[in-house]
Amino acid sequence: MSEKHTYGGAYVPEMLWETLQKLDAEFENAKKDTAFKSEFENLLKNYSGRPTPLIFAARATEELGGAKIYLKNEGANHTGAHKITHCLGQALIAKRLGKKMLIADTGAGQHGVATATVAAKLGFSCKIFMGRIDMERQRPNVFLMERLGATVVPVEYGTKTLKDAVNEALKFWMENLDEAYFVIGSVVGPKPYPSMNRYFQSVISREIRAQLQEREGKPPDVVVACVGGGSNAMGSFDDFIHEKSVQLIGVEAGGRGKKLGEHASRVLSGAEGIFQGYKSLFLQTEDGQIAPTHSISAGLDYPGIGPELANLHAEGRVELTYATDDEAVAAVDFFAKLEGVISALESAHALAHVQKIAPKMPKDSIIVATLSGRGDKDLFNFARAFKDESFREFLKDEYGRYE
Amino acid sequence: MAGMNKLQTLLGDPSTLLRVKSGKPFFMAHMIAGYRSDSESEQVAQALVKGGADIIELQIPFSDPMADGPTIAVASEDALKAGATVAKSLELLKKVAAFGKPVAVMSYTNPVFRYGIPKFVKTIADAGASALIVPDCPFDTEEGQALIAACKENNICFIPVVSPGVPEERLKQLASAGGGSSSGGKDLLGFVYCTSRQGITGATSKFAKDLADFATLAKRVFNLPLAVGFGVKSKEDVQSLAKIADIVIAGSVFVDAIKASGIGTVEKTIREIIQTE
Repeated sequence: MSEKHTYGGAYVPEMLWETLQKLDAEFENAKKDTAFKSEFENLLKNYSGRPTPLIFAARATEELGGAKIYLKNEGANHTGAHKITHCLGQALIAKRLGKKMLIADTGAGQHGVATATVAAKLGFSCKIFMGRIDMERQRPNVFLMERLGATVVPVEYGTKTLKDAVNEALKFWMENLDEAYFVIGSVVGPKPYPSMNRYFQSVISREIRAQLQEREGKPPDVVVACVGGGSNAMGSFDDFIHEKSVQLIGVEAGGRGKKLGEHASRVLSGAEGIFQGYKSLFLQTEDGQIAPTHSISAGLDYPGIGPELANLHAEGRVELTYATDDEAVAAVDFFAKLEGVISALESAHALAHVQKIAPKMPKDSIIVATLSGRGDKDLFNFARAFKDESFREFLKDEYGRYE
Repeated sequence: MAGMNKLQTLLGDPSTLLRVKSGKPFFMAHMIAGYRSDSESEQVAQALVKGGADIIELQIPFSDPMADGPTIAVASEDALKAGATVAKSLELLKKVAAFGKPVAVMSYTNPVFRYGIPKFVKTIADAGASALIVPDCPFDTEEGQALIAACKENNICFIPVVSPGVPEERLKQLASAGGGSSSGGKDLLGFVYCTSRQGITGATSKFAKDLADFATLAKRVFNLPLAVGFGVKSKEDVQSLAKIADIVIAGSVFVDAIKASGIGTVEKTIREIIQTE
């Protein structure tokens, strides 16, 4: 890592110092413990359904006329995205620490559902903090969390969205440090969360390597993944970081414009900052206030980028770029029609970039794009993005069927 | 080293110890710059000083205040919506400092980091501040070290924030990061800011059960005056904390008062809780 850009660290109130020290130590112990590893691997295999398939996108390759395109289908995981992996890993650490409860903040509800799922599976109680407005917008996910036995705590103040949910979850955590484990949903937050979640997610890149070796007898030329906080990207890149022949590309949310507030791309307008416990690139104002962000995909709608990813970018190892809302929606359609794969809107940012670069690459080259999640969760968003009139009618009728 | 700043003068006064022993601690009143507007916040500061505050804690509003409860978080957001900026907060600081009481500036790390640490500390010193509180910047980070260096250079006290549950080992690290219990460290750290319960500033006045033990420990390790805050709402709260604290801190109670009936009630509110008639 270069000396100038050492992103990361633990910028937290002193009351969290000991908790993070203990977490760091426990994580280091766990990594050396074969029983821990085999329990984690067993859950990945027999609960989450790993390894996830590496799909050769034959028709998309043909259509784009360049590099061979493979899709690493993390959407095949239980609950439909890669997120379950670092939730399972963290829950096992929480168990080792003797915690009884998993807590998390959630915006659109995906991280809440993943945390509630793991809590149910491994016997934790679970509290999910969610802004009142987000709860109203994401009722299906609230419903799922409640069915999974979690308590969804509405946050009634401020913007009543994610940032207040984070504040409230932190507050609860600080008041219940002995009992509660805070599950962080990406490779962000204070040390050791970023490296811990990368460690759990790195299974993606190891599987890509092994699966591609079997099919093509060589590693990929390019790995592409979308980047919100960066968990699926770090997972997809990890095993290739020291293999300089593999180009690593992270695709951020270009949103609907280049002005601050219209996108969530740190490469467009991120600046060095310290927020939510870590130093990295953040979307912020000249004054150091965290800026509002926009993306059609909830998972990318976040102001910061994982510190390890920011370091890799600063060193020139990882290229960061962006795709717009419209490009992402078009990419969902393209791969749905040609490959029978309905991507989550987050992952579609990576697919949109594949559409841009594949035609310019030689036919014997290989791109692997990580499909971080499947699109079922975006049903309502898709229907709205395509202005689907019949869906509007369906919602009205569905309301009628409820009465 | 330059002369003592106002806070050091206040705390260095031999009568300080007598006050504390007689159960009459100093009172640090917290307020948010730019809440509900620049002019109102100036009047709030004036009312707090008139009402008997010994020290003013001036918080620079931040979009995502992780260590604050709903009251301060929402008020910070309101201040930003009303146009508060770091530059305007620093202008306000000059006016607040001119009221004569020591002023401790409180900010989250990011606005200070963005402003530039040496420049920020010099600016607050020039504006008349005596101390700086940054609750999310541990001493042993690169930025924490930069803050300490800048505070030393500008004769600003850099206040450590701790809470019950922080282990003795860590308290010792913090004390030595500030220069140990030598007089140099004392001058730098000024006092220790202790949150009265393991949690965030907020609505309940339920103090941590182990607060008294922790206060004793912190005083022993730091050998500094101890300020206790978070959740102080009433004269009963102040009286109960007076047994262990050299400085009692309250903040959200003033936001509540302003919200309920405007800035005219601030002076009355502070008089009621600290009981200066």
